[in-house]
Amino acid sequence: MPVYFHIDLDAFFASAEVLDRPELAGQPVIVGGSGRRGVVSTCSYEARAFGVHSAMPIAEARRLCPQGVYLPVRMERYAHLSSQVMSIFEDFTPDVIRVSIDEANLDMTGTEKLWGQPAEAAALLKTRVRTDTGLSVSIGIAPNRYVAKIASGVRKPDGLVEVPAGGEEGFMLGLPLDKIWGAGPKTQARLAELGIEDMARLRSLSAQTLEAAFGRAGGAFLYKACRGQDPGIYGSEPKSRSISTETTFERDVRDRETLESVLLGMTEELAARMYHDGHSSRTVVLKLRDGSFDTQSARETRDGPFISSRDIYEGALDLLRKKWDGRPVRLIGLGLAQLGCQGGHQDSLFEDDATRRAHKAAAVEKAVFDATRRGLGTITRARLVKPKREHPAAPDDEA
Amino acid sequence: MKFTCDKSAFQKEISFAQEIISSKSAVSVVSNVYLEAQDNTLLIRATDIKLGFETRMPVEVQEPGGSTVFCDKLGGILASIPDGTIEIDQKDSRVVIKPTFKKAQFSLKTIASDQFPQLPDIDDSAYFPVPSADFKAMIAQTVFAVSDDETRYFMNGVYLERAEDGLVMVATDGRRLAFYKKALTDSLPLFKSVIVPPKVLSLILKRCPDEGQIFLAINDKNLFVKFGMYKMSTILIEGQFPNYQKVIPESQQYELRFKRSEFLEALRRVSIFVEQKSRRTFFSLAQDKVVLSSEEGDIGTAREELSCAYEGPEAVIAMNYRYIEEPLRYMDSDDVTLRFTETGRAVTVSPEPAGDYFHVLMPMQVD
Repeated sequence: MPVYFHIDLDAFFASAEVLDRPELAGQPVIVGGSGRRGVVSTCSYEARAFGVHSAMPIAEARRLCPQGVYLPVRMERYAHLSSQVMSIFEDFTPDVIRVSIDEANLDMTGTEKLWGQPAEAAALLKTRVRTDTGLSVSIGIAPNRYVAKIASGVRKPDGLVEVPAGGEEGFMLGLPLDKIWGAGPKTQARLAELGIEDMARLRSLSAQTLEAAFGRAGGAFLYKACRGQDPGIYGSEPKSRSISTETTFERDVRDRETLESVLLGMTEELAARMYHDGHSSRTVVLKLRDGSFDTQSARETRDGPFISSRDIYEGALDLLRKKWDGRPVRLIGLGLAQLGCQGGHQDSLFEDDATRRAHKAAAVEKAVFDATRRGLGTITRARLVKPKREHPAAPDDEA
Repeated sequence: MKFTCDKSAFQKEISFAQEIISSKSAVSVVSNVYLEAQDNTLLIRATDIKLGFETRMPVEVQEPGGSTVFCDKLGGILASIPDGTIEIDQKDSRVVIKPTFKKAQFSLKTIASDQFPQLPDIDDSAYFPVPSADFKAMIAQTVFAVSDDETRYFMNGVYLERAEDGLVMVATDGRRLAFYKKALTDSLPLFKSVIVPPKVLSLILKRCPDEGQIFLAINDKNLFVKFGMYKMSTILIEGQFPNYQKVIPESQQYELRFKRSEFLEALRRVSIFVEQKSRRTFFSLAQDKVVLSSEEGDIGTAREELSCAYEGPEAVIAMNYRYIEEPLRYMDSDDVTLRFTETGRAVTVSPEPAGDYFHVLMPMQVD
């Protein structure tokens, strides 16, 4: 039975500010663009009580809530916090779609043995996020991504709403039309114009009627949405999917060779996961954290997809060269971002020798990974074989 | 400057000039068309900086002189007035345009002609002739395959090469390639291969009559073209055109022969369900038949079976709809042969019987 979590960070930017300045707790905090034309990015729930909402001009917010604390957007800080939270999600399932900086959709299918029933897993996840980062999240649980998304917005903040399998349609029926995510003001206006006032009325219309009124795509969307079926909000090709892996060293690492070896191992792991899922990527992300928990990450996007793990490894080394200043490394992470399906990939006519070699290498790798996966022994790169002693043994010693 | 001329003759030249000009800013001199009246001839020039245009037409000159006027507005004026004789008269910094048969008049701001950029020129002796119809056929068969990806600027034009016994044009965007070789027995001068921007080629295709000759001249920086009363010059694209010969398959194992128009029509029907992003279309081959199909997410599918001549193994080739549709649209033969060896490697599309051109397409991954 499929299980999806949609997780929303509550009033994220405002919460992040409160986190950094605890004295702001309980006050109306409004984060947004400065200047005359600035708009509200996020505001705390206290500010919402004054009628302030996101996308509202700052000037209007000031009028509604003169006593509010107005702060500029510190995107770098939020991105950092966001990636901390996202990596917690990735501890729960490898299948995380980062929808935006403060939203993620998780495929939790088949994780019951690990984390218990969905609601238990969600409670655990909420606790992890709170203890590790101090932030609160709202979670929607449902048998598909779409209903999970809507459920996450029903009870906020710190909410947990579970729609059990088979309950999707009933859940949708209990909602007003403006909760249909993906039906914007234009669609809402058209619904009102047609005298469709509630979900039940919408639900009673045939697919043909809806398509006649809202066009082929729009009609099909509404038909599925009001029945609690996923109209494919994240598409068959997710916009921004990523896989990543990271390692915390027992003792901080200072030498390049060790880092490079670890990266090589990570590259292989990521390549294996990528091949297995039939995905491709052209963006590699490197993450480095030093002893003082200062974390930085860098990414590199190439013109074409990575063909073999060697390509990824080269990208990773390149980032390491650019980003690492020799400081002791506490944690190193590597990821592939913007994974797409390989289907429909168009090769170039002008394939150079390097590309041809990479394709051959990839074919060998796929065979090796496949063999390993099926338990036919372990094949690995010589460099990744751990030496028995402190220093690599000479070959004749091994014999 | 003052002259009278036939409105529709003037309008024809100005509309050509309008196609050259890309700037629509009233303050920029390159939005203007250059007019110079002398010896009962009007010299007209236009440019978009990269492309220069020049023509001459007979007029009745009352006062010799020259100026530049906003071409877009001049075109608008000429389009709005009925046919007949018109008078163009420069008064200080304005040009007054009036039909001789109506009480209408237009006054248009000018920019002094000395501010108009100098167009590149080349000695008349440098030009060599090529039959217009041949040159146009070469353009028609290749120019659509040019890349519009500006990061691959060296593919943003058609490669023009002097072969031993004729002229070659090649265009590619890296995933498909169009090749045309015209054997020309007339003496062609030797020249270094050049990359020609598509704009001048499209204009030749549109404006040059099929009869007669087109004259070309090439130097390090420019290609010059003359036909009829028209002269154009374009800057060439610098850079290294890819080694196209490497991607033209020498021999291919399997052949599929079909009727071009039939295939094209089926293709257009099947295109209804082609994914917008990848435009992937499937071609399933079996003994003497091909099935064209497409699938767009869960929205729908299309499928059409055609008979053709094919004796190879059953196979599925996936191709970008545009890459197969475009060559078929521009080809001129009734029958077409598609050749391939492996479904994942380059496919060749050529007219049947073989002609001066062919197209090479890189297929897509099937799954």
